[in-house]
Amino acid sequence: MNVEFFLRLAQGPLNLTWQGLVMLAVAGLLFYLAIVRGYEPLLLLPIAAGAMLANLPLSPMLGEEGMLTVLYRTGIENELFPLLIFIGIGALTDFGPLLENPRVVLLGAAGQFGIFATLLLALALGFTPNEAASIGIIGAIDGPTSIYVSSLLAPHLLGPITVAAYSYMALVPLIMPPVIRLLTSRRERTIRMPYSQRPISKRTRIIFPIVTTIVVGTLVPFSIPLVGSLMLGNLMRESEVVERLTGGASNELTNIVTLFLGLAIGSTMVGADFLRLTTLMILILGMLAFAVDTAAGLLFGKLLSLLSRGLINPIIGAAGISAFPMAARVVQRVATEEDFENFLLFHAMGANAAGQIASVVAGGVLLALMGGG
Amino acid sequence: MTELWFGIQITIYGMGLVFALLALLWGLLALLVWLDGRRRAPAATPEGATPALEAVTAAPGVRVRGAGVEELAPEALAAIAVAVVAHASQEQPRGWQTAPAQAEGPAAVDRWVAAGRIRQTIRVVQRRRG
Repeated sequence: MNVEFFLRLAQGPLNLTWQGLVMLAVAGLLFYLAIVRGYEPLLLLPIAAGAMLANLPLSPMLGEEGMLTVLYRTGIENELFPLLIFIGIGALTDFGPLLENPRVVLLGAAGQFGIFATLLLALALGFTPNEAASIGIIGAIDGPTSIYVSSLLAPHLLGPITVAAYSYMALVPLIMPPVIRLLTSRRERTIRMPYSQRPISKRTRIIFPIVTTIVVGTLVPFSIPLVGSLMLGNLMRESEVVERLTGGASNELTNIVTLFLGLAIGSTMVGADFLRLTTLMILILGMLAFAVDTAAGLLFGKLLSLLSRGLINPIIGAAGISAFPMAARVVQRVATEEDFENFLLFHAMGANAAGQIASVVAGGVLLALMGGG
Repeated sequence: MTELWFGIQITIYGMGLVFALLALLWGLLALLVWLDGRRRAPAATPEGATPALEAVTAAPGVRVRGAGVEELAPEALAAIAVAVVAHASQEQPRGWQTAPAQAEGPAAVDRWVAAGRIRQTIRVVQRRRG
């Protein structure tokens, strides 16, 4: 028994670094948010676990054949995981509210302004164009789109961007209401909107994902993977002929891929790379992107309200983001706080579904403008 | 400064493209829904059918009784249906729309939202008609 033997036994504690310890604390915070506060636990818990496993000293999980490395190469490097999740999201999403009231699709477009406002700010702060575009895409408020775009444009920023995108998505109920109250009057918030109650046939519901894929895919080829996956899931759902596949995509596939995605993202949060001023700036810019999206959607809602002579409640504009269906629920909650009998949920769901499509369109447009990385 | 100008250009082109694409999608969706409505319109009132009667009998808690009901004009039946629904909504005690607890399940929440939507639509239509 010599000193070398004991050193070999104690190599774990001896290789602890302050960055590693801080990242273990960050993983602990994410565990707290996921388990105690219930913020996006499906993704934050695996991310926290990935971060913890990656930051333990000499972790074999990050080795050449380590599980986290293999997961990263399998699903993040080639953008497979976000696209598989999009199939599941498509299978879970009902675009009926959007089809019943197609004009709300424009609210989804306004809700993407945060992407470009954040891109401008990031450029002003000295980020490269590709990095700025990747940070801006947090404003899509769409985890898979953020991962897809940033893995193409700035893979070295994937960790903080994903953490920001998913953490803030969980904070939508906290971020949106103050912005809504700040930018709208009580009178505007209490506007009641009638329902068209227009029946949508199964045929139209089936044609919708096909037409959307062809039109958007043809005009913005960079968005084909995103919009194609989303609409494939929706086509499976609406056709009702592949219920086993629909169930599998919306449950088993999404669950398994979410676990793998979370672990792989968490593995990118290695202390030495993560603990930088850049990360802090990305987190602040991400928060700003969320607020700007809400504000832009609201302002566009106000414009539509003006044009329709008060028939549209502007707060449904805040739901024109991709956080589905959370944003719509928040809008309904704000509306009922002012007027208990004001039912805006269905309209807000339409705007929210539009935000879902708009975010993948914006992701594709951004990739096209940046030359796809 | 050059990069900021680049960012402004990206913002203008990007938002312009997103709006243009979604406006196009809006047009296509509106066309789809319009075509759908055209197809459904003739099928909705087949010859000899009395949709108003069906609406009355299908309403929850409504029973149509008595001889000669089938002989009533569709307009009369529609008026009866509206009156029954309006009366039923007035009869509800205050606070009947209290949101169901989550524990009652999503179906209860859906029914609550559906009831609110119908009530809101009726009120808005009544207000517009003066």
